[in-house]
Amino acid sequence: MVWKGCKIIFLFIVATIFHWAGATLFSFFGLSVNLMLVFAIAFCAELKLEVGYPVAFMAGLFLDFFGTRLFGNNAFSFTAAACLMYALCSRFDFESIFPQVFTVFGLTCFVSLLNSILLAWFTSAMMWPGTWSVVGGAAVGAAFAPFVFWLANRVLREDTKAA
Amino acid sequence: MIPLRQHGAKKQHIAGSRRKVLFPAVFLLLSFLLMILPLEGMVASIKVVLSYVFIPQIRLAHGGVKYAENVHQTVQELLQTHTENRLLKQQMEETQMLTSQAQYIFQENERLSAIVGVQPAQRWQGVWAKVAYREPAQWNTVIIDKGAADGVQERSAVLSLAHGQEGLAGVVIEVTENTAKVLLLRDEDFTAAVMLERGQEEGLLVGGGLHPVRLKYIPLLTPVVKGDKIYTASSSSIFPAGILVGSVSDVREDDSFQTSLTVEVAPAVRSGAVKELFVITNPERK
Repeated sequence: MVWKGCKIIFLFIVATIFHWAGATLFSFFGLSVNLMLVFAIAFCAELKLEVGYPVAFMAGLFLDFFGTRLFGNNAFSFTAAACLMYALCSRFDFESIFPQVFTVFGLTCFVSLLNSILLAWFTSAMMWPGTWSVVGGAAVGAAFAPFVFWLANRVLREDTKAA
Repeated sequence: MIPLRQHGAKKQHIAGSRRKVLFPAVFLLLSFLLMILPLEGMVASIKVVLSYVFIPQIRLAHGGVKYAENVHQTVQELLQTHTENRLLKQQMEETQMLTSQAQYIFQENERLSAIVGVQPAQRWQGVWAKVAYREPAQWNTVIIDKGAADGVQERSAVLSLAHGQEGLAGVVIEVTENTAKVLLLRDEDFTAAVMLERGQEEGLLVGGGLHPVRLKYIPLLTPVVKGDKIYTASSSSIFPAGILVGSVSDVREDDSFQTSLTVEVAPAVRSGAVKELFVITNPERK
């Protein structure tokens, strides 16, 4: 159990590094890349919902930590994305690349839209980063998805089998 | 037994379904609560608590990204180094070619000088020395860390590098076993036979102390222009010919009764800035 927790924490730290790097590098091209979400989705694909939901929630909270206007919107949208991911898990095999790529693309667009709606609702401020930015960012996230899923599978594989 | 097992499976299924609903509901509700609460007070406290967890991660992530950026920079530098290395190799080859050409010219010069019966110019040989001491009251003399043991003699010419070219710095006036005193070019007691590059006119260079360095005995009608280079003359008894001394900084015809120009000189080597000096130790001086 402790070993499993260590692995999750390790992967979470790796996710923050990737997210930071992705956000920094792709911001030069005007793309809002959310690699933290890709990791959260990959976590949900590998972990049971008792662990997957808290991890997704914490991943969202990590992004909320940088926000100044609203606190909790990312945690909400990440939890909602995890909810959809667990629903999709029973229908698709996430060991093949195509479901990974299309799910990440779709969920990234969904989270961006949901975040904008939540911000508009709670703060009356429209924070839509732009269609190109969202779609492009989602495409980049989708391109990274196979690697992230492979990494999550590699690190958490034994735990999955044990579960 | 069978109904019991079925009953257990049904209970498990219900518990699983409850979990499926309960977990997202709890976290969605929690995040919703975080959103509706004001940013001050409780949310601020949560942020402070979270900062202890997230800030080390953020630092780590930032450090990772910075490291990645440095890797990119290092690779770029490595690529540039490769190009630079190629250029330097090319320059080295060119220098080697020039050296061999110069070698040939030296030999030819020696041969022709022997035919004509003229003493060929000696190549400079010497030692590099560091300024070991500079008297605060006398900025125009320095003591260097090389002496008689290194071949330094009295009246040895002393050079220094200025803007990548050697220039006359002064002359050795006192020698001990391991040190020597150098009189710098600016000193009032310093004199040297020099010539102007334009017209090859010879004159006597005199240090000015607090005043500018002057070039004496240049005839009135000599064409001298500001910026003209001045070199040591072959008639000098101390200095080898062809050492850069400085350039003309001003030309004046002060008094009508004078028969020569007053030429002020900007020395190539700044006396106050010398740190390393090259002492010519050729024994075959004229």
